[in-house]
Amino acid sequence: MTRYILKRLLLALVTLWLLVTAVYFMVNVLPQSVAKSVLGNTALPEAVDRFNLKWKLNDPQLTQYFRYIKGLVHFDLGRSYKSERPVLNVLGGPLVRSAKLAIFALVITVPISIWAGVTAARRRDGKLDRAIVLTGLATSSIPEFVTGALLVIVFGVFLNWLPVISTIPSGTSLIGQVRYLILPALSMAIVYFGYIARMMRAGSIKALESDYARTATMKGLNDRQLIRRHVIRNAIPPTITVISVQIGYLFGGIIAVEKVFNYSGIGQQIFVAVSAKDLPLLQGCVLIVGTIYMLATLTADIIIAWLNPRVRLQVGSS
Amino acid sequence: MDHVENRAVDGLIASQLNGRLTRRQLATGVLALPAITALIAACGSDKAKTTSTTGATTAPGADTTLTGATPTTVASETTLAAASGGNLIVAMDLPGGPFDPVGMYDLVAYGLVAQCFEFLCSLGDNSDIGPGLATEWSSNADATEWTFKLREGVKWQKGGDFTADDVAATMDRLVEGGNSGLGGIISKGSVTAPDPLTAVIKLDKAVGLFPYLVSVFNAQTVITPKDWALGNTLDKNPDGTGPWILESLDPTTSAKFKKNPDYWGGPPPLDSVEFQFFPDTDTQVTALQGGNVDVVMQFQASTGTSLFSDSSVDVSVLRAATHRQLWMRCDTGQFADKKVRQALALSLDRDVLISTLFDGKADLGNDHVIAPIYPYFDKTQPQRTRDIAKAKSLLTDAGFPNGLEATLYAGDLQEIKQLAQLVAVQAADAGFKLTASVVDNGSFYGKYWCPAEPKDPPCSGAAEIGIVDYGHRATPDVFLNAAIKTHGVWNSSQYSSAELDTAFEAFQAAPEADDAGRAAAAKNIQKIMNEDVPVCIPYFYNYLSATSKKVSGAQTSALGQIFLAKASKA
Repeated sequence: MTRYILKRLLLALVTLWLLVTAVYFMVNVLPQSVAKSVLGNTALPEAVDRFNLKWKLNDPQLTQYFRYIKGLVHFDLGRSYKSERPVLNVLGGPLVRSAKLAIFALVITVPISIWAGVTAARRRDGKLDRAIVLTGLATSSIPEFVTGALLVIVFGVFLNWLPVISTIPSGTSLIGQVRYLILPALSMAIVYFGYIARMMRAGSIKALESDYARTATMKGLNDRQLIRRHVIRNAIPPTITVISVQIGYLFGGIIAVEKVFNYSGIGQQIFVAVSAKDLPLLQGCVLIVGTIYMLATLTADIIIAWLNPRVRLQVGSS
Repeated sequence: MDHVENRAVDGLIASQLNGRLTRRQLATGVLALPAITALIAACGSDKAKTTSTTGATTAPGADTTLTGATPTTVASETTLAAASGGNLIVAMDLPGGPFDPVGMYDLVAYGLVAQCFEFLCSLGDNSDIGPGLATEWSSNADATEWTFKLREGVKWQKGGDFTADDVAATMDRLVEGGNSGLGGIISKGSVTAPDPLTAVIKLDKAVGLFPYLVSVFNAQTVITPKDWALGNTLDKNPDGTGPWILESLDPTTSAKFKKNPDYWGGPPPLDSVEFQFFPDTDTQVTALQGGNVDVVMQFQASTGTSLFSDSSVDVSVLRAATHRQLWMRCDTGQFADKKVRQALALSLDRDVLISTLFDGKADLGNDHVIAPIYPYFDKTQPQRTRDIAKAKSLLTDAGFPNGLEATLYAGDLQEIKQLAQLVAVQAADAGFKLTASVVDNGSFYGKYWCPAEPKDPPCSGAAEIGIVDYGHRATPDVFLNAAIKTHGVWNSSQYSSAELDTAFEAFQAAPEADDAGRAAAAKNIQKIMNEDVPVCIPYFYNYLSATSKKVSGAQTSALGQIFLAKASKA
């Protein structure tokens, strides 16, 4: 298992380096000069020169690239062109906020979706199965921000039960913060419920139809034991993969939800960085989201290997 | 499709491009948007208390006053028992620039800085400018020397007494910083202090309404401590004399202030105030209706319709000098010929702009900065109206028989994005092929309006044509001094007219009591600006703000500032 984890870690590092390199060259090797895109088309040549000098943009691209990589090794993501603050400082707060929201959304979504998927599989073609499948299909076809706006109207404005925005007043306790996160987390949970539940249902049906499930039943295991010991263990790997991919998206891809709820997370920072052509900030955002994707995928792979010895044996022998 | 929908559609398209949405999902989202917007708009309930300085709207609620040319609002003194303590939350736009008291240029910075720092002349209760750090003021006969008696017992938040030396140092910094609309009016060393509580300001020329230039209506003139360094910011060195002490400031989310227990006016009733930043006003409106914030500093009629019918909210509608300037470079490029600028001004249908963008809550602009609310506004001047034939003819005379192409730059702030698009559409009829380029507001000022380089003359790196926002001023001095006068610090059109400069001098030189002299000069300014069109001003819009009925004693100017020293929350 240790060997497997080390291999996967190495692979993750290589992937991360490829990502960093690709992003670096994509944003820096543009037809228009970086200085022009930051200062505007009407910027005078003197101002462009000064900008290039200040940010050392006159150096050869490779020199700049290696300087950037060297900085990364020391956890230095550079400085924002706009605020001139270290990128890591700019992104610290948004990253923590995104993490809180993503974790809360997962805590809501994952157990319910897995339960729904297994239940639907057990009641295959029954009314409950159809209800779960149709609900999942319907909710996953509506974008999160539409769901979010509807939740705001119902629970925030009409019923006045929950805050309509998620800007957490300073000094709010951790438990108090949960109240502010319910609606955005719910709007994402509603969408992801469909994906995860259907994936779990498909896996559970396959497991229930398998020879080992039949054997276990014949050996006298009751329904609950069968589900817990055999079905979930075998049905869950694809679901874990789906969840791991969604984690990255929950951090960086929910700009619209963050806008609806005025929640300043990584998504909004990406938007700001793109709007202001703040390339160091944009690179930092992409790097962080990419790292989260890597870590989530790595964790998923490790869990899957732990659940299924064949996976780690395959990797170990290859 | 309105502002809310446009933003949501942008999000939908982005999602589709990112592969998160199928085309069907995209279509579903777009189709759902008008319904969502309508639902949100329908969420209000009974009739709100709406106040207006125009008198055109019912005013059963808040006390709104307009003395002279100074609109201020005091949120309703409701019968609710005001409780001491608590935290008041104000919703405002995202900051667009630095929190540097001397170098700031956006309304959010104005609003935050004014919590911690104070002016010589503040807002009077329901009136014009009133005593602030100065308790009284007077001038010599020709208004070239002003004496300010300073308030006794005022302390800086970090310790030490406020004295005339602080005023002198502040004025010197304002001259050095060159961003306060005081250019050509005071020089370094202009303040003398015969005693610690008297500041005598000797002006370079006569200015009859000088106290307005060191008041809340010239936001950069907050008084900073004697040893304050130029370039210091509110977040780096929060040391004012004001009622609120900065606790934290994150430009991406919020700023929080706690009360100053040693405030000269007595400790504020509230414990703390928090300013939360929003990328758009529709979310601010929803937050107010949902009870998450207590005040919305400013909203647009088009996005805050539901507030007018919400019984839990007081809406104030202030006629003000708030406006947008569509500047055109007069020194170089395609707009250097005034015929081209006149043609563009003639291509605009101002009534349509006002009805579309403000639901009618604005005054017509006539391409000069003398707003209709000013007592010296000349009503007899003919209003410029849309005349496409004349516009085409002028363009032909200027050597553009086939029209001209240009990029119209604007910041993404309030209604400006839609204004830029509407201007492009309307001007197209006259032959202008304008491409509206809207960038985030934080980048806009430094990129296209007044780039730092070249420094001399100021703003000479500005784009050929663009739209910039201007908040309310109680007198037009700052607009004229900074944006219109030759080499003004915000003169993005690079307009230079000896005739206008002379007229402005005459306007400023008119002693306080000489209304006729001021009116004559203002009439002349209107005429010159309307003829030369360095900036096209299509409207002066009403400043809309909204306050929860739980709040009392909050005072707002139409310049992004809210004064909360006496505010309380039930």
